[in-house]
Formats: sequence, C-alpha cells, structure tokens
Amino acid sequence: MSQVLCNILHKTALIQLEEKFRHLIISNNQLIRNKSINLPRPRLRNPTWLTKKHRSLEPNFLTQENKEFLKEVVSDKYQNIQPQSVINTNIEWNSKLKRTGLICKKIGVYPMWLQNGKKISTTLIQVLDNHVVKYISPEEHNPPRKRIEKIINKKGCLIIGAEAADPFLFTKEYCGIFKGSGVIPKKFLARFFVSPEAVLPPGTLLTAMHFPVGHYVDIRGKTTDRGFQGVMKRHGFKGMPASHGVTKTHRRPGNIGGGGEKGRVWPGTKMPGHMGNRYRISRGLKIWRINTKYNVLWVSGQAIPGETNSLVYVYDSLVPSKKPTEPLPFPTFLHGDELPEDIYDKEVHSFEGPSILFDESK
Amino acid sequence: MINTTKNFVKLKTFKVFNFRNVYRSCSTEASLNNTNEEENATQEGFKKSFAEYRHIYPEFLPDPEVKLRNVIREKLERKDMIARRSQIAIPEFYVGSILSVTTSDPHSPGKSETFVGICIKREGCGLRAKFILRNVIDHEGIEVLYEMYDPTIQKIKVLRLEKRLDDELLYLRDALPEYSTFDPNMEPELLVEGAPVPVNSLKVKLKPRPWVDRWERKNLQGVQDIDLPERFWVKAAKVATPWEKYDLMKIYKKTIPAEEQRKYTMKSNHNCKS
Amino acid sequence: MNIASLRHIGLSSQQYISKCYFHQTASLGEIRKMARLRVVDNSEIGKRAMAEGKPPKCIHVYNKTGVGKIGDVVLVAIKGEKKKGILVGLKQKQNPKVPKYDCNNLVLIDDNGTPLGTRIHVPIPTILRTILKEKTQNKGADYTKLLGIASRFV
Repeated sequence: MSQVLCNILHKTALIQLEEKFRHLIISNNQLIRNKSINLPRPRLRNPTWLTKKHRSLEPNFLTQENKEFLKEVVSDKYQNIQPQSVINTNIEWNSKLKRTGLICKKIGVYPMWLQNGKKISTTLIQVLDNHVVKYISPEEHNPPRKRIEKIINKKGCLIIGAEAADPFLFTKEYCGIFKGSGVIPKKFLARFFVSPEAVLPPGTLLTAMHFPVGHYVDIRGKTTDRGFQGVMKRHGFKGMPASHGVTKTHRRPGNIGGGGEKGRVWPGTKMPGHMGNRYRISRGLKIWRINTKYNVLWVSGQAIPGETNSLVYVYDSLVPSKKPTEPLPFPTFLHGDELPEDIYDKEVHSFEGPSILFDESK
Repeated sequence: MINTTKNFVKLKTFKVFNFRNVYRSCSTEASLNNTNEEENATQEGFKKSFAEYRHIYPEFLPDPEVKLRNVIREKLERKDMIARRSQIAIPEFYVGSILSVTTSDPHSPGKSETFVGICIKREGCGLRAKFILRNVIDHEGIEVLYEMYDPTIQKIKVLRLEKRLDDELLYLRDALPEYSTFDPNMEPELLVEGAPVPVNSLKVKLKPRPWVDRWERKNLQGVQDIDLPERFWVKAAKVATPWEKYDLMKIYKKTIPAEEQRKYTMKSNHNCKS
Repeated sequence: MNIASLRHIGLSSQQYISKCYFHQTASLGEIRKMARLRVVDNSEIGKRAMAEGKPPKCIHVYNKTGVGKIGDVVLVAIKGEKKKGILVGLKQKQNPKVPKYDCNNLVLIDDNGTPLGTRIHVPIPTILRTILKEKTQNKGADYTKLLGIASRFV
C-alpha cells in the first residue's frame, strides 16, 4: 500500500516538476513584448458537435403568394419582442458586480475636438439590435472546453444575439436556440459572463445607452488578417542593413538559438507565420458621445482591432484606473422618457456648438 | 432584413444630399449684404449648381477607399459637417485662391491669430479635410496647414476666388518668392454674382535647382519653360509611363516592318467597328 | 546652381543625393546633429557666419530624441565656437496651425537664455508662447526675452 502511495506521490511530484520546467522554458524564451503565450489558444475550427447555422438553400418552388405569407407569419410572430419577465432594478450597483457586454460593429473613424482645442481620434461603434436569448446560471454552466478547471466566483452566462435575420436562412436546430425566448433568430450570438445579480430576462433589448457617456470600455475584436508575414512585420525584428556588404540577408531573423546542452530551437521561438485574424482586446477606451437614434458610440482611439464593418464586443473596462465613479445603469438601461438624439461628454466639443474661443488668460 | 423592434428606424436610402440649408458664401456683393439668409435658389438653378457641388465641396464626396465606407458613419459625419457649417461659413475656394483664416489662440494678445495666404493644396475627406496656405512674410516663406472643421477656427474668408492651371501648387516652394507674396492686409476682391470662377493662367518662374521635388516630371501647366539638360527630359519620359514596359505588343510592333504594323492597326479598327 | 543666389535667399547648399537604388523615404527635413541652420537675429557672430557662407552646424539637440522641434535648445558650432540657440522655424512637417518655414531658423542665445542679438527679422511662431506657458523646460530655455526681441508673429 505504502509502495503504491509512494509511486503516486512520486508521479505527482514528477508532474509538478514537469509543469515548473515547462513554465521555465516558456519564461526563458518570452520577451516583454510577446504576450501571446499567455493568451488563449486561437480556436481555429468549430467542434463537430456545434449547431449547424446556415441551411443549404435548394431552389425553392414556393409561389409568390406563399413567400409573402411566410414573411407575414414571421413579422407577426416577432413584431413585438418583450422581455419575458420584469427586470429587477432594485439592486444597488457596486464595483464588484459585472454587467453584460454588447455585440457591436465598428463602422468607422473620424476626429472630434475637445473643449480645450485638442483633437482626438474617435472610432464609431454601432450597437446592433442586441436581444438577450438565454441565461445560464453559474451552477448549470459547464462548457465542454475549459481553460481552467476550477473557477473562483463563477459567473452566470448570458447569451446575447445581434442582427435579426430571416429564419428561413437558418437550420431548424439553430432557430431552436431562440425558441424559448421569443426572439427572432439572430445572425450573431455571443456569451457574456455576468454576476447572477445582473441577470436579464430573455427578450430584453440592449441599446447603446447601456454604457453611459464618459464611461470606459474594453473592446474585443478580431484583428485584420495580414496573411503569412515575415519576422520583421510580425514580431518587430530589426532585420539587417540594406547595404555595407550584407549578403542575401536583409529581413531574416538571424540567430534562432544558442548551443550547448540545450542546443535546439525552443518552442515558442519567434518565426515567420500567419499574422492577424486573432481576437485582441483594446482596454480602457473612453466613450465621448452617444447617438441614441442609430445606437452609435464614439470611442477614443483608432486602434480597435478589426477592419471597418467588422464585429466587435464591448465590455465594461477592467482597467483599475478607469473604474466608474458614478453608479452604472444596472443591470441595463431602461428606456423611459424620450432621450436627446446626441449625448456628449462634458469635455468634448459638439459641432453644433459655437467655435471655441479662449476668453480668460491663464 | 426584418426590423422588429420599435427603437430601430429603417434606414432611408440617402440619394440626394440636401444642401439648401448650407450657406454657400463666396466673395460676392450679394453675399456681403445678406450674410445669414438662405439662398433663394429656384429649382432649375439648384439643379445646375448641384452638378458642380463635387468641385465646390470635395470633402463631402465619399471616401475613395471602399473598405472604409459605411452608410451610417457617412450620414453622421456629414451631419456633423453641416452642423459645423451652420456655425461658421466655410466658403467655396479652390487651390490658387487667397484666403484669410482667423483661429483662436489662448496665448496671443486678442486671443486670435490671422493668417493670409494662397491655398496650395487641398486634401482629405469628411471631417478630416485640410488645406495649406502659403505666404512670404519678411522674405520668409511660411506655410500653415488648417483643418477645415477645426472648431478653434473663427473665420475663413476668401479674399480672391480663382483657380489655377494645376491641382496642387506645391511648386511655389521652388518658385521665385514674388509668386507667393500676398499682402496680409489685403482687401477681399469682389466677383459678379453667378459668374464662373476665373482661371488664372499665370506661368510661374522656378528658381534654379535643387528643388523640393522633380517638377519636370509632373507635367505642370502653371510653370514657365523649365530650362534643364536633355537627360532630365529623357528620364522624365521614361518614368512617365511605367506600364509601357509590360506592353509586349507595343514593343513587338516596333520590331516588325511598317506594312505589318499597318495590318495590326487595321485589324484593331475592324474589331472596333464590329 | 549659383551659391551667391542661394545665399541671398538664405538657403543652405545642396544636400548630397545618394545614388543607392533601393527605396528611401522622402526627405523629412529633421534637425539632428550635423544639420545646417540659418541664424535669423542680428547678432555679430551670426551675421558674419551667414555672410561668409559658413552657416552654423548643429552638434547637439537638448532633447530626449535627437530630433529638434520648434522651441528646442540646440548646441551649434559657429565660426569655430560653440554657441547655444533656439529653433524658431523648421522646414519639417508640422502639426495643424503651426507654421512651416522654408528654412530652418535659429536664434542664438547664451547659457542664461538671453539672445545675443537685439532684433529678429523673421516672423516667429506663436506656438512658442504656448510652450512657454504650458510646458516646463529645464535647460535654459527662457522664451520671454526671445519673444521680446521678435518683431513679428505668425
């Protein structure tokens, strides 16, 4: 018995040693710039059990009448999507609670000016028609692929859909996801982890007002696909001089490792390869302006991952210095009175206002 | 796409951009008299000038890069541009016009700075529209870049509205200083209402080389005869049509006898007819 | 290319054109070490240097980067002496509303920041006032005296 125990302990000790060794290898090779080892591995293919989304559209021989009838049926069914239960607004917001994010689209970049005359670059993020589809409580939520086995303070999972589409184009199984909520099948689905107090009933509409003006957000998007790139563009290597006798080596990586006992190429060595088309997050971006008619947020900066007209996920910022000082609309903003079309942050200059004049001298 | 919720307005196709409320100010007597009244344009007159709007308001044209285009972004951007134009009059001007721009400066006496100069370049689309003014003050050539929709700009006044033979006048940097000198206290020159914009066919004399750029390669209309050795013109001709080196038929045609060359041209004519 | 005519205009002489056949960026016109500048005040040493055709050469830029901006103090070699100066106009591309000059202008100052000349015959950018009021310079860049002797602003 003790022999068996000894073996088990020995094995576990070995496993632990291996883990530590692996970490050492990775940390030896890691430069401050390269954080991709700590990032989640890119999921390049969907698992086979994932619900098939698009239906193969065979030539349908529906008559014009029937087509119109189908359209009528769909529009009647989904004319008025209401939340299935009353949203609980009695909860007092505190900084520990986590609200949902939104599925948005990056629609462009243009400049705005502040009251002190400084120019800022702002990205326009259009909040698509986000509807809550489902809520999975932390006890129920058990995804087949987990990054970490044990999670402290497990959060509930809110599934949100964006951009309504014709259910005729989707498979029955995909439409089944939306059946219980009464929401029209959406083109895009996303998971947002929320604290159980921030639960929203299925059918709730989320708009740009979910984020107050002046609030800081993190935006996650898929970076522009740059294809197969060399080491200079991909990792920022300096290359070699263009002249002065350098033979046939101008953009190559140079040395890829040392010698000695561990004389091999370490795993994680920076080399040419595919660049882009990965999820990255821009953190701590301020919202300068909101348009309530088109549900557009003006967010600082122009370095949001992704190209124009690409999908983007917006969350409340986790940056400690950019935490909100005033209470946020919790669990989400409830539309009551009529809102002004444009809401500006106090520091930003509205184009409808007069030119900036400096009256008092400092 | 089926819009099911009340909060989402169905987007109308944005066919014709309504400029009726935009104040088109050029230095005309009429505009000086009635500064803030709407132009009472008849339907016909409106249609005629609408065709010219892409020249008068080039920054309202859509982004040349198709990847960056988005209907809602363009709509919001143009709305902001119109809002700014309702605050100050951004007049019609072209490269070659003389402008006076007053900006607010926190550390200047009187809190504002005025600069007068000839517009040598105009670029950018949407709110990023920019223009460069050039002037020679105290024998020192000075250029200032202004962003058209910058809210610190208090006033943009056109002192002389005219066009030049070129789209960009960057060669004025290498021209004799007299061609870039304009009086900072210049009075606005008035034009007859409704007259076409005058084209100044001035031919500028350049200083001897070295230059900022290779002006002999740019086919400049507004420059006097450039006196350079033959090799410059030979190289300019070579560099002017870089696609010709891939035109194999053209190279081949030069090698065959004249009769067969004619055959090729006759064939191409025949194809055109059919 | 007539050197006398260039001197009259106040331009520095032709830069060496490289004959390399690989891609180069356009000329940025930055002020770094070895850049030649044009003295625009009426100091004796400055006038003599410009008249002789030996413009001051920048030998150090008092900056974290070696690139001089408007208002930066630079150390120049002029007529065999080392003198400090303030960059007052640059050929480099500038931010909006900041004027760009046709020559790289310099005003000679001594170690305390007092200009050596009594007049500046060229317009000075008003951005110097903003730099004076908003930023703190630690290496003897007192623009007040310089702004005092300026005759014209842009």
